[in-house]
Amino acid sequence: MTMDAEMLGKALYAGAVCLVLLGLYGMVVPRNLMRIVLGLVLLESGVNLFLVAAGFRADAAAPILTAPFTAQAAGPLVDPVPQALVLTAIVIGVGVLALGLALVVRVKEAYGTLDTHAVANRMARETGADPAVTAAGARTPGALPVAAGRTAEDAP
Amino acid sequence: MPFALPFDMTSLDLLMAIAAAATVLLYLFGTARLGGYLATLLHGAALAVTVAMGLDLAAGAGAIPSSLRLTVLGQQLAWTLDGLGWFFLLLTTGAAFFSSWYMAGEWGRVQQRARIQHGTLALNVLTMVLLLSAGDLLGLFIGWEFVSWAAFAMMIQAGGPATQAAYRYMLYALAGAMALFAAILVVHGAAGGFGFDQMRAALPDMSTGMLWTLFALFAGGFGVKMALVPTHLWQAPAYSYTPGASSAFLNAVSARMGLFALILSLVKLIGFDTLAGLRIPMTGIESTDILAWVAAITMVVPTYIALMQTDARMLLTWHGIGQGGYMLLGILVATPLGVAGGLLHVFNYATYQMALILAVFAVIHRTGTADLDELGGLITRMPLTYVALLMGIIGLAGLPPMNGFVSKWMIYKALIVTQQPLLSIAAFVGTLGTILSVYKLIHNIFLGQLRVEHREIREAPWSMTLPMLVLAGIGFVTGFAPGLALSIVDQAQAAMGVALLPHHLGGVVLATGSLNMLWVVGVLVGAIGVGALIFYVLGNRRFETHQYDNYAGGHFLSADIRYHFSHEFYPGLARVIGPWYRGWVVRMEHGLGVLAEVSGDLWHGVFRAAYTPLYVLIVAVLGLFWAGGAGGFGS
Amino acid sequence: MTLTAHHVVLPVALPLLVAFLLPLVGRLSDGLARLLAQLTTLAVAVIALLLWPAASDGGALVSAMGGFAAPIGIVFYADKLALMFVVALAVGLLLFRPRREHDSTKVQTLWLLLLAGGSGLVLSGDLFNIFVFYEITAVATYGLGASAHTGAGYGASLRYLLLSALGSAFALLGIALVYAAAGTLNLADLSQLAGERLTGPMGLTAFVLMVLGFGVKAELFPVNTWVPEVYTAAPTRVTAVLAGVVSKLAMVVILRLLVLLFQDPAALGFLLLLGAIGVAAGELAAFRSRDLHRTFAYSSIAQLGLMAVAFSIPGHAGVLAGIAVALHHLVVKPAFFVLADRWRGEIAGLTGAGRTSPLAAGLFVLLSLSIIGIPPLPGFWAKLMLFKAAIDAGGAGNLTAVAIILAATVIEAAYLFRVVGILYGTAPAGRPPLRFTLGELAPGLLLGAVLIAATVSVAPLGDGLTAMAADSADAAAYASRVLPGGN
Repeated sequence: MTMDAEMLGKALYAGAVCLVLLGLYGMVVPRNLMRIVLGLVLLESGVNLFLVAAGFRADAAAPILTAPFTAQAAGPLVDPVPQALVLTAIVIGVGVLALGLALVVRVKEAYGTLDTHAVANRMARETGADPAVTAAGARTPGALPVAAGRTAEDAP
Repeated sequence: MPFALPFDMTSLDLLMAIAAAATVLLYLFGTARLGGYLATLLHGAALAVTVAMGLDLAAGAGAIPSSLRLTVLGQQLAWTLDGLGWFFLLLTTGAAFFSSWYMAGEWGRVQQRARIQHGTLALNVLTMVLLLSAGDLLGLFIGWEFVSWAAFAMMIQAGGPATQAAYRYMLYALAGAMALFAAILVVHGAAGGFGFDQMRAALPDMSTGMLWTLFALFAGGFGVKMALVPTHLWQAPAYSYTPGASSAFLNAVSARMGLFALILSLVKLIGFDTLAGLRIPMTGIESTDILAWVAAITMVVPTYIALMQTDARMLLTWHGIGQGGYMLLGILVATPLGVAGGLLHVFNYATYQMALILAVFAVIHRTGTADLDELGGLITRMPLTYVALLMGIIGLAGLPPMNGFVSKWMIYKALIVTQQPLLSIAAFVGTLGTILSVYKLIHNIFLGQLRVEHREIREAPWSMTLPMLVLAGIGFVTGFAPGLALSIVDQAQAAMGVALLPHHLGGVVLATGSLNMLWVVGVLVGAIGVGALIFYVLGNRRFETHQYDNYAGGHFLSADIRYHFSHEFYPGLARVIGPWYRGWVVRMEHGLGVLAEVSGDLWHGVFRAAYTPLYVLIVAVLGLFWAGGAGGFGS
Repeated sequence: MTLTAHHVVLPVALPLLVAFLLPLVGRLSDGLARLLAQLTTLAVAVIALLLWPAASDGGALVSAMGGFAAPIGIVFYADKLALMFVVALAVGLLLFRPRREHDSTKVQTLWLLLLAGGSGLVLSGDLFNIFVFYEITAVATYGLGASAHTGAGYGASLRYLLLSALGSAFALLGIALVYAAAGTLNLADLSQLAGERLTGPMGLTAFVLMVLGFGVKAELFPVNTWVPEVYTAAPTRVTAVLAGVVSKLAMVVILRLLVLLFQDPAALGFLLLLGAIGVAAGELAAFRSRDLHRTFAYSSIAQLGLMAVAFSIPGHAGVLAGIAVALHHLVVKPAFFVLADRWRGEIAGLTGAGRTSPLAAGLFVLLSLSIIGIPPLPGFWAKLMLFKAAIDAGGAGNLTAVAIILAATVIEAAYLFRVVGILYGTAPAGRPPLRFTLGELAPGLLLGAVLIAATVSVAPLGDGLTAMAADSADAAAYASRVLPGGN
């Protein structure tokens, strides 16, 4: 393997890691749902790039069957399995992205906001009964009856 | 007495069949007109079978096996009843018999859910049979869970405050059961199985730490059922709010299941010798000493809490906790006298406590209240109930001629003979509290002036007075001739592997001073007779006085002034005791509840929608951290 | 009719095919589409049952796609464990099938996709196919999660989608690592290479990534934050299936990974940690929940944690315990959600509801007792198996896990019986009583009956499960069945 090919391999890995980190940043920090979805896209691209890089050989041909195949004539081929995987993963990723965006649209329609905190609060209000949201530390009516026994004892 | 049964049934099989049939039949027909008498009949049959078993055992039959066998997931379950189990079984079927008798007549008819009460009573008997005859640790655990939940079913039926009390009981009982579960798992880990013999065989190889763990888990797990301090808070409310006959049953035997299991695990399985070898380093304090002191505290603290109660049921049930301390303490003395005293106290307590509870519920049945501030002077209206209660409290206080005196005497004596002065003092202090509080009980209900609203009430019906009078009678007879009860105790003691206590009809024979109740009662009766003789011969200066002709606070009260001193009965004592009896245990329980709530809130917050980004970050960092550890892959 | 190994693909292919046809049929007639979908689901259950005898004879049925034998070809592997979960999924989907709704056809399509994906998930003998089927399952559940058409439903489903997609990316990364290390994705092939290629930090990283990825659906800590929201916002039918069955399918995948690929103590320890935290977190959060849906969602997290703890114990005892817990939860939790559907809102508002519907309240008590683990109900035996396995395996981690589970059981009883107390309380006057129709309650009653039947027949059931667990825990048998020539 030549120096250039090694450099190319390293660059591919570095790019993959950068994309994954960027994607993670995009999913963690922003509060806008749209940006989070975009972060997801970056992340998935990074993972796909990583897969392609794993099967990459600089001196090998693309694994496409063009002519009657003979091992000697064809020379080394790039490992086709990761490429097949990536193709599948990209298709799945697109599907999930479309579904996710559709849901983003629906959320915007329902709540009129894309801010995660606002959406979370609206959801909690809609489904109700979340003590952490309504009143932190407020005692549940039927809670552990530590008080009940005391009344019995306090009787005198 | 070998008695022939079809299909090679053993007597234990028969008993299980009766108990199972009773559960189903009474749940179906408990509300029917004669349902109560059906219950009495079935429980009577169970009692008869138990007595027959006792005769078999006394004839040297060894343990009575059951044909019931199960193999589940490689675990074999079998049931066998030995003398120890039989002793507690006798109390169980006996208590069920008297409870159902009490419930059979008028009392059962006015209950809203007689069907459920009868059904749960029978279920409790069935589960106790399974527990008492458990043939291995897994069977013991299963029986234990059965008994706990059957008791829960019995407690929760009344609704209202009973629901909260039962819920609290359930949490305590389940925590205890989980300790027990841990214990049997520890045994399984060490012995490779749940068998009693496997456990005994593995004991010598167990490390001291493991033995301590086992001791703590068994004592803690079973101690909850006995309501040993500091796990005592649940018992009094739970037993008090259960309807009458069921409450009497629970009081008499339910908590005793804890004692049975403690004896089984600590005495029969681990053994006194191993326990005695288990010492806290550098102090010489043995494991049993710790438990004995827990028992002593249980004798004293709940008894004085009982003193402060204004509800007659609460007063008695708090006493029940304290009485459990005497039994455990007696057994932990580990001499034949102490063990016999502890076991005899189990029997005696069942007789007088049932009589007391049934009497109090008879009062509630007629007056509608158990509030000691709201009663008084009932002696004229309910004389039979008064007699039953009077005999009961004499027993509870441990005074001659009732049976409570005999067992308490044996426990004191055992403590003194083994030179444990501090524990003896604790026992005496507990008895003092008992005497004070039972006086409060009988005074506030039956003595003094009758209240206006109670002027027209009648004595409880025979279906209720008879069972309690018979129970009180048993208490007197076994007080007069304790040998009768001691021969029952012998069965259990033999099964425990403790030497038998020499006894005769009237009492026990000891080198350090014997007790002959025939003499004691004879002298007592004689003295009363002499007193009466003197009184009547020398003038017979007695005059009848009306109940309202009273005297209080330096005033002669005429019949039109209503005065009955009951509110804040022992103000001085209450001032002394008040501050320290409700402190730390209640706070500890409260703290546990708050701890669970706060950590629940914490996790609730973790799962909250708004924290998702933070969450994902944690996940990502975790993943990258591990990936970073992997280093240069892919080349 | 005798079925052979070639029919193993049917539980996946059939619903997939019908799912694509269904929108077309739905144009003709909604009722016909519904009928077709339900018949397909039934057919899958029947096929799986018919495959059962053949699978139990030879240990498993192996089918290689397109005639390419493993390790080159793609294989389907149907052992009793996989078939059992296919049956469970199909039966669950039938039991909670969509009724005559506005968009019945769309939901039915997703229902079939879920069936195809779920079946594929447990039947695949190939890591990448597992990933693909996992995604099919996931996409179907995103749609179902939002099918209540409420804002909360969309929001919860979106949140679930984001987390799940992130998890999938992790899983894919893990799969890539496995491939980079071993050069194959066939599970049988990998199981033979695992000893030399998948140990050390590399294998561990791959395992962690895959567990975090598949753990999203298996409700594993810490990737389970979507659970309470989705289970509250989705229609109860969907929740019942997700909590009851789908979560177990992902767990089966993790089990396969453990048994075949990662017997590394560190990997097992990682899963044990996640499981134990899941148990504690789930029960404590459930303790503070104020509505039944969230309570059961958190309880579900705890139960899945229990399974993770069980699977982290090496040997067949742990597998047996995990399967037992899974099956028990599979019966109990959907029934719980059936009850939660009518008893919505704050628990405190349910006072006296048990008196107006005694049957439902009785069912609640039965289910609660079983899930707490009270003998003789099946939940007790499952927990006993788990504890026995953990104690026999020994080790500080396992003992700590047992202690945590024992303590969590008390919390569990506290919140479940708090509800029981409220149900049997006295209802305030003037409130309309909450009553179940028999139709609403029927699936719950059916599952309750199954629970009682299992209680009665616990001994033979236990023997069957023991054999199944021993077989599932045997990596060598798996490899020899897929690669008959030896490799």
